[in-house]
Amino acid sequence: MTEDTNELLPTAEYSGPVFKRFEVDPSKPHSTSGRTNGPSDYVLAAGAVDRDAPTEAKDTRIGRLRAYITTLQDEVNEFLTERMKSKGEEERQDLVNSEEEEDEDQTGV
Amino acid sequence: MPYYSLGLEGSANKLGVGVIEHPLEKIAAYNQANVLSNVRDTYVTPPGEGFLPRDTARHHRNWVVRLIKQALKEANIRPDQLDCICFTQGPGMGAPLQSVVIAARTIAQMWDLPLVGVNHCIGHIEMGREITGATNPVVLYVSGGNTQVIAYSRQRYRIFGETLDIAVGNCLDRFARTLRIPNAPSPGYNIEQLAKKGRHLVELPYTVKGMDLSMSGILEYVDSLAHDLFQGKKNKQLIRADGSKVTVEDLCFSLQECIFAMLVEITERAMAHVGSREVLIVGGVGCNERLQEMMGLMAKDRNGSIYATDERFCIDNGIMIAHAGLLAYRTGTRTTLEQSVCTQRFRTDEVFVSWRED
Repeated sequence: MTEDTNELLPTAEYSGPVFKRFEVDPSKPHSTSGRTNGPSDYVLAAGAVDRDAPTEAKDTRIGRLRAYITTLQDEVNEFLTERMKSKGEEERQDLVNSEEEEDEDQTGV
Repeated sequence: MPYYSLGLEGSANKLGVGVIEHPLEKIAAYNQANVLSNVRDTYVTPPGEGFLPRDTARHHRNWVVRLIKQALKEANIRPDQLDCICFTQGPGMGAPLQSVVIAARTIAQMWDLPLVGVNHCIGHIEMGREITGATNPVVLYVSGGNTQVIAYSRQRYRIFGETLDIAVGNCLDRFARTLRIPNAPSPGYNIEQLAKKGRHLVELPYTVKGMDLSMSGILEYVDSLAHDLFQGKKNKQLIRADGSKVTVEDLCFSLQECIFAMLVEITERAMAHVGSREVLIVGGVGCNERLQEMMGLMAKDRNGSIYATDERFCIDNGIMIAHAGLLAYRTGTRTTLEQSVCTQRFRTDEVFVSWRED
């Protein structure tokens, strides 16, 4: 993809218990076919044929922006999914710990 | 110069974009709108599957730009000729609504045009009135997400009766999934075609509750009959009077007859209550010829008339949003960016009908 001085480069920030900034590197390849924007696995398993894929990005400023945003969205999606997974795991572990403590109280150990 | 608006609809699995023209004169029945373009693309799933919010939203996101371009091209209208951008604000599925409102906000800012949020049900009613010329009908709104009997009074479309659980279209669609018949062009259409070949009426629960309906129990009942039929289980209800077996076509026929009779009953009661002789059927199920026939028989008995549209306007479309939005725009309604949040719950009677004074 061509670069110019007015290249539109999107960024994103997540602020909460942790802070993370997302940026795209224009020197790397980008496309509108991302890792997380395809049809859901469930639908594909049911035999769906994907006729709703996004059009390819044109080599214009706006076209390249579409591809950058797809990359950025992938990274945000993967970050948030990972956080949800680890939060779910923490909650599950807390539940196990509290049940074990209850059991100990009841047996007087 | 006339008024022009572009409407975007995407509250379920249809993405529609339409451009409408209103002559400059005052809003009146004689001053008819012109449909300049009305394009649509439907998200279709494999047989036996419904449409999931995430995949439906993806469909809308990836088609919306193409459809907007096509609608403007067919209408032969430039963005700078438009007066406003209208979009479905609700009710509907959250993720698909969200995809479309983002597109609406984007083009409104790009082209420096005001936004007008439209209630999906009001879009159906106003487009139905415009196309058919019905002046003050009782409206039966039947689709995959909504089932309501509505009548106009003092600048509100008031709900006289509605489903207590699932919509009539949802009942038909889910039975189509049980039968694993194709979802193209639409599951309801395919049920209708099978029903035409049905001859034996299987008695199903008839669940009218005052002015309201319940359809989840009927679906459960007919689903269990279909399972028994497929598995070859013995069931008295699956044997006809002549001893032959009930068919899938008979079940489709029976389901339609039962739920359409319920719809006719509550519509007739609403007509009697408000003293109207007109009934307008809108929404995707409104295309069903058997429903139109049954409603027509009832209306004829009351010396009344039935009004219905074809699939271009019955099934969800962008032009109805453009039309209802432009009516609201012409009477001063604007939706700011902050107000443009879409909502899954948006009842028909929440809308102040500023463009009607009767």
